[in-house]
Amino acid sequence: MSCPPKKIKLEQNTDNQFYPVLSEEFTEPTPMIDVYIDTVTDPRNISKVVVELNTVLPLPELTHLKRIKGKDVLLFPCNKDTAPDMVCEILKKNNFDISYLKNNVRTMSVAEIAPKTRKQYEVVHKLWPCNFHSNKYVEKLCTNTLFSASEIESHVNYMQVAIDIARFSKDPLSIAGVVVVDPKINSIVAVGFDKRIDNPCQHAVMVAIDNVALTQNGGAWQQVNARLDNQASLDLRGIPDDILDVLKKKYRNLRFGATKFKGKCEIETPSDGPYLCTGYYVYVTREPCVMCAMGLIHSRAKRVFYGTKSENGALGSLCKIHTVKDLNHHYEVFAGLLEDGCKKLKQK
Amino acid sequence: MLQSATETVNEDKQNPTSVNDNLTELQQKFMETAFNFAYNALAVQEVPVGCIFVYNNEILASGRNTVNETHNATRHAEINCIDEVNNFCRSKNLDVKKIFSEIDVYVTVEPCIMCAAALYDLHVRSIIFGCKNDRFGGQTVFNVASVLNPVTEVKNGYRAEEAMNLLKEFYKGTNPSAPLDKVKVKGKKARKPSDEATLKT
Repeated sequence: MSCPPKKIKLEQNTDNQFYPVLSEEFTEPTPMIDVYIDTVTDPRNISKVVVELNTVLPLPELTHLKRIKGKDVLLFPCNKDTAPDMVCEILKKNNFDISYLKNNVRTMSVAEIAPKTRKQYEVVHKLWPCNFHSNKYVEKLCTNTLFSASEIESHVNYMQVAIDIARFSKDPLSIAGVVVVDPKINSIVAVGFDKRIDNPCQHAVMVAIDNVALTQNGGAWQQVNARLDNQASLDLRGIPDDILDVLKKKYRNLRFGATKFKGKCEIETPSDGPYLCTGYYVYVTREPCVMCAMGLIHSRAKRVFYGTKSENGALGSLCKIHTVKDLNHHYEVFAGLLEDGCKKLKQK
Repeated sequence: MLQSATETVNEDKQNPTSVNDNLTELQQKFMETAFNFAYNALAVQEVPVGCIFVYNNEILASGRNTVNETHNATRHAEINCIDEVNNFCRSKNLDVKKIFSEIDVYVTVEPCIMCAAALYDLHVRSIIFGCKNDRFGGQTVFNVASVLNPVTEVKNGYRAEEAMNLLKEFYKGTNPSAPLDKVKVKGKKARKPSDEATLKT
């Protein structure tokens, strides 16, 4: 009887129902291909037929498929040059003894590639038996069960901070806030809000990326009046002073600052020092545009969470930059985090 | 003035081997300036991409990558030039949008997805680039124009081989800002000169 309380909790926290934005290879049905099949005359010959066929007509591109379904056997993929009535000839030409078969050639739609998710597997496996190697992480992503309750709470908190940051945006027509978090030390590394009224490139994300650079002795837009405190254990230069004061007052349980940047020669273990946004989570009140989404790829962010969709968004709306195969870095994207609160910002 | 100067991208796709030397003398001079910035970038161990923004046949901004210098992976040559034009407009009290819409961009390497989006959003008049960018290109890797429907005219191919050779030269060395685990050759993780983390155009 533990179910009812759980349900109540879910209903209370509908705002927490954020979801992963996945590549189509996980969300779309598995691509299908037509193949020729025939029926084996005598079931006792099935194993012989499979061995024979795998020798004379191996199907290296369809190794995820079983060769047999009941008494039916998979022959080879259809193509425009082979009609069903030519199948026997082709088998003969390949020295296959066609007396094993009933000469009842049909076409069948089967999975062209191995299914990537259990859901896809269950669909294609019904049509034709198929191998499937379940990936636990992918399954959790696809079923949106990746995060524990405490992790969800943490993501919600950081997005709430991003909403507060967004209110600093300079143009009421263009409001967005960003919080960059280092999950290794659970600390806010940098923030950013929209300043495109001053500079067309200063979208909240681009500002936040540059503020991260400030914590690494870099940065191009040195407009932030933030403190460099050599005594402090963390580097606070990614958060402007006035904003830091406001946040510290409101969020007494949050940590602020980046792991101190180390010059290359000071780094002892290779994965030690901060490098761009490597390993960082980025919370954005609205879906980043193409420029910002790609800026985050260049910066090697680990995960991007956004609240509300944007018309010109590049992480689900216009396109999914984070799923472009040819890029050398990919981050995970989650949408719909505190969506209502983020939406209200836009209407302000 | 640009219409007959170089091939359009579509033509280039049909005939990918063609290199276009068909720029006007003035345009070649602009490209030469952009190349100077690319060589300069190489000399200071930045990804060798150079860029200039031209307005009314005058150079309004010029720049190169400063990614390693700024520890900011978005500081590509084009973004640096956008900043410069923006500052110029503001200091002279000029209409930023209008100025950008009359700018011609000369850049040695195909703008990456980020820069292409930035330039399209600013409605720059044209982009002329040298070689393709097969790791981050805003046409080659992901066609930004297919989602942003830009007004910008894009041409390419001039001194492409030279631009590419500059990149290759850079990747022979190691990126001074990359973390040690990505640079050090240990076990199987030997790092190809062209590998990962480095090409920020």
